[in-house]
Amino acid sequence: MFDATNAEISKALVTLAIEKTLLNMGKPVLDEVAHRLFKNYKCYIPDCHEHPEYLKSVLKELYGNCYNNIVESIKKTLDEFSTKKSIEHFLMVISE
Amino acid sequence: MQTNLELPQTKKYLLLSILGTGFIMMIANFVGQDVTMLTTNLLYVPVPGALLVLSIIIAARFSVKGEHGRAWILFVGVAASWFVAEQIWLVYDLVYEIDPFPSAADFFYLVGYPFLFLFSIYYLKPLKNAISKKMLAYASLTAVTLLIPLLYMAYGIDSEISAFELTLALSYPIADAIVLIPALIGVILFFRGEVNFLWSLVCVAIVLNVVADTGFLITSMNGSYYMGHPIDMLFLWAYILFSFGVYSHIQIFKKHHPHISTQSLDDLR
Repeated sequence: MFDATNAEISKALVTLAIEKTLLNMGKPVLDEVAHRLFKNYKCYIPDCHEHPEYLKSVLKELYGNCYNNIVESIKKTLDEFSTKKSIEHFLMVISE
Repeated sequence: MQTNLELPQTKKYLLLSILGTGFIMMIANFVGQDVTMLTTNLLYVPVPGALLVLSIIIAARFSVKGEHGRAWILFVGVAASWFVAEQIWLVYDLVYEIDPFPSAADFFYLVGYPFLFLFSIYYLKPLKNAISKKMLAYASLTAVTLLIPLLYMAYGIDSEISAFELTLALSYPIADAIVLIPALIGVILFFRGEVNFLWSLVCVAIVLNVVADTGFLITSMNGSYYMGHPIDMLFLWAYILFSFGVYSHIQIFKKHHPHISTQSLDDLR
């Protein structure tokens, strides 16, 4: 049986929220964000759970001032889990 | 989208295309009216054609899934219907040598407008938080201010034209006024620094197209319009701006090796 830790569950939730939001915009958007995360920081989307600033920087690079709309969408998806400490930290950093 | 993806090379080619088209039309106007008519008609093949090809490429890249995808599918509708309209106009003008108004070209021109309006809504959707009610009010007021005198002018074109022709003539300023609202919002967002220049090109192109349409209506009314009139340069420039706007999106959302994007949740399994 697979026993996931709290941190792993949070990581999966954050990853799903990011991927869902970006896929709603279009597959090439998800691909481009993933590509830039890897190119700039050598990281993948799940790593944004520990490094939300990477995602924020890539979204800003791609969408400039309106990256906030994407952040809002991610926040909305994660709303019911926002009391979890690590998710709260993720949301706080990308919203800053 | 005030990003750092300004693509300087793209801007250089845009300027060259604008200057090149203007230069060709200027030379043709110096040579004579027949050459002007032929040159302008022929320019309406590659210029809207390039837009159609580019819009198909971006739509295929995004497919129907997602908000961007839906927006670009709608844009293919605009590019395709206007391309067909331009070719019908060319055949009427160059082959049959008859007045293309009213003709099937008008049907295709007008079909493009609902697509363009819906596209611009989807295009602006990611920026909805940056759009204020005041901005919407300014854009609407400008569109209505432009619409009233144009409707008045279009209504007084010629008392001998049929009700159908009159309705057709009145349809253009109405359609222009409707698409002008989201386009102006896009331009305002550019001046406020919310979006970058290449992103705003599509909106600038819509505004330029509306200006060209207005000029076309006025010059047609006073009888000064001929194929190759400087007003046609504005129509061609609008197509070029649209094309570069689409091209900048193709450049930004390039195809990448799939291993990067798929390596996400797989890591957690």
